[in-house]
Amino acid sequence: MKKYILRRLLQLIPVLLGIAVISFLLLHMIPGDPATVLLGQEATPEEIERLQENLGLNDPLPVQLFNYLGSIVTFDLGTSIFRGEEVSTIILTALPATIELAVCSLLISLIIAVPLGIIAAVRQNTFLDYFSMFFAQLGISMPVFWLGVLLIMGFSVHLGWFPSFGRGEPLTEGFIHLFTTGSFSVLFASLKHLFLPALSLGVMGSAMITRMIRSTMIEVLDMDYIRTMRAGGTIEFLIVMKYAFRNALLPVITIVGLQFGNLLGGAIVTETIFGWPGLGSLVISSISQRDFPIVQGVVLTIALLFALVNLIVDLLYARINPKIRHN
Amino acid sequence: MKKIFAGILVLFVAVVLAACSGGDDSATESSNGNGGSNVSGDVIRVGLDVDPGTMDPRLANDSSASRVTEIVFDGLVELDENLVPQPALAESWENPDELTYIFHLREDVTFHDGEPFTADDVKFTFDSILDESFNAPYRSLYEPIESVNVVDEYTVEIKTSEPYAPLLSYLNIGIVPEHLADNADFANNPVGTGPYKMTDWKRGSEIHFEANAEYFNGEPATEKIVYYIIPDNTTRVSALEAGDIDLLHSPVSPQDIGRIESDDRFVVHQTTGLGHTYLNFNFEDPTIGEEAVRVAISHAVNKESIANDIYAGMDQPGKSPLIPSSWAYTDAIEGYEYNPELAQSVLEDAGWVDEDGDGIRERDGNKLSVVLKTHTEDPNRMQAVEFLQYELQSIGIDTSVETQEWPSFQESMQTGDYQVALLGWLNLVDPDRAMFNQFHSEGGSNYGSYSNPEVDELLEKGRTTIDQNERAEIYAQAAKIVTEEVAYNVVLYQGYVVMHVKELEGFTVHPGGYFKSLRDAKINN
Repeated sequence: MKKYILRRLLQLIPVLLGIAVISFLLLHMIPGDPATVLLGQEATPEEIERLQENLGLNDPLPVQLFNYLGSIVTFDLGTSIFRGEEVSTIILTALPATIELAVCSLLISLIIAVPLGIIAAVRQNTFLDYFSMFFAQLGISMPVFWLGVLLIMGFSVHLGWFPSFGRGEPLTEGFIHLFTTGSFSVLFASLKHLFLPALSLGVMGSAMITRMIRSTMIEVLDMDYIRTMRAGGTIEFLIVMKYAFRNALLPVITIVGLQFGNLLGGAIVTETIFGWPGLGSLVISSISQRDFPIVQGVVLTIALLFALVNLIVDLLYARINPKIRHN
Repeated sequence: MKKIFAGILVLFVAVVLAACSGGDDSATESSNGNGGSNVSGDVIRVGLDVDPGTMDPRLANDSSASRVTEIVFDGLVELDENLVPQPALAESWENPDELTYIFHLREDVTFHDGEPFTADDVKFTFDSILDESFNAPYRSLYEPIESVNVVDEYTVEIKTSEPYAPLLSYLNIGIVPEHLADNADFANNPVGTGPYKMTDWKRGSEIHFEANAEYFNGEPATEKIVYYIIPDNTTRVSALEAGDIDLLHSPVSPQDIGRIESDDRFVVHQTTGLGHTYLNFNFEDPTIGEEAVRVAISHAVNKESIANDIYAGMDQPGKSPLIPSSWAYTDAIEGYEYNPELAQSVLEDAGWVDEDGDGIRERDGNKLSVVLKTHTEDPNRMQAVEFLQYELQSIGIDTSVETQEWPSFQESMQTGDYQVALLGWLNLVDPDRAMFNQFHSEGGSNYGSYSNPEVDELLEKGRTTIDQNERAEIYAQAAKIVTEEVAYNVVLYQGYVVMHVKELEGFTVHPGGYFKSLRDAKINN
């Protein structure tokens, strides 16, 4: 098992290098560069030329690429052109916000999708089934920005239950505050900020997971061993929850893993709508500034996270289905 | 695993229930909830659209950076609502001759760290802006400055290489402390003389300020200011409606204005801003270089409809590059009226005729085709070019639309890779800033390579003439020529919108969007 994990981690190196090269080339090939953005509309062409020279943007592309690869193999993601801060520091500040949002929206997805999917499968072709499939269809087809705006209008503007934007203190701060002072206030405020963005992402994600659970459950419930158990008089609830659901989980985990990987990449639209200071808003503002080091750093981070999530999913397979062994 | 899952589930249910039970007093709920950080009490919460790129006034190049530096720093002068320079760090000034300004500085000013403000700080600030390696974005505005000399601790002399009339309007840039500004971290930890000290900057989300009790104009009215970064225009307005912020300003979606105006909890101010939105014509392009084509396009621009239907009346139909909030504004320049029939006959007279009946005009076998460009950041501009596409198509010009995000678009403009583009200028505090770089043949922002020796001469004269009335006449002449020759077609005079809660008092709306008056603003509960 350890050998397997190590091999997978080693495989990551060429993948990440490839991604670094591609993201570097793509960014440098699109028109517009940081010097023109930094100096603004009123700068003279000479001033722009001078700054490009200072920033090393006039060096031949292969030289710039070589320098960049040289620095990332020493784990140096460089310095932001606009902020003058280390890219790694900037990413580490934004990452917890994104992880918080990703974990919570995934939880919401599962809270909605698992019961809905199971009920739809067990009560196939009944009103409950149609209802959950209608919900799933709605969730998949609703644009996430629209749902976000609706949630803000409903829950913030009209009901005033949740803040309309922004992030509270990090959840970890909230827990520390809770354990040191016994007061829920900080954690509570953070969770309130988290709720609407997590819900808008969660609803979208739940739609896909519901469909997946329903179809695999229907398949499993049709299998011989389930019929045998029913014939043997096992309680239906036990059959569904213990014996069928566990076996239906495998494909579900794949899709949950993929979804989580996507969420870690920063839910760009949701983060922008809710003013959530995570990787998504960071990468959007950095692209529009052409802050190359940040964009490249974020892309690498996302790729790494995605790969790690995939590895975890593969390891979970083995745990859920003992027939699978990674050797 | 199951236990953890159940625990989290319980936590969520608790949050939802607790939130629901707190629904009655939504205003206090959300203001306490906001940020979870220390923002209760005597505070004004402001919504901004982007995170500032820097907090160093010398490098400030986006509106948020200006909003921060305006309350953290002071300039030698500040511009009032009519753009007339008023004393700030400089108590008074005089012009012994056309090339010299002498500023007498206040002697009772200290920086936020307690160090006194002196003439050396003024010299340091302008010397660094003029230093090429410092890369100040607005360096070109100060380029005519030849030297900044310290006469004594509280007197500064600024010498220019030629008479430079707009200079005073640009001296509202914040003065930085010489003893700190060389620190690499100064742009993130600004120390100024202004009414508020920056205390905390959570990148991409919020900026906290505290009143400077030692402020030379008296202690600010409100103890704390918080700027929240809310990128989405609609969410920002929703945040005001939800009671999460107290004040916001342009950019706003024109469609949101009516709703807030009709809500008696809020006050909406609409005024003309310091910018215009215009069509830029590329004279290097063989089609657009032809005056008849430019004139015809101008006759096909329905400015009224763009202003009222797309911008919902937030912006006004434009006429010339001289904006209404400027002292140089004149209504004597009418521009080209909207008249599609006239546009068609102008094209016909120039030999552009639809010979094959496909609705598109040709001449010598070449189709009359135009690409309209704009940037994607402003949805109203994208709508406007699509509307123009229809208008031009109906007078027989084969028109396509191309939109690019800002950095690419800016590069297209700077490299002349466009035919006709819709974009805008901001911060036109002086007619020189609206015209010199744009229309002088050597101008740094003359993207379309417009060139007319008469205009060059007028613009040089406008810059070096000190008398304001005389300048107004000069700029009126220049603006008339560039409008007639269609170097620009100014489509809209940009409006400036502020929305705030009714309880906010003492905030003065400035056409430049300046937040200086936050020092006098207070929320009366």
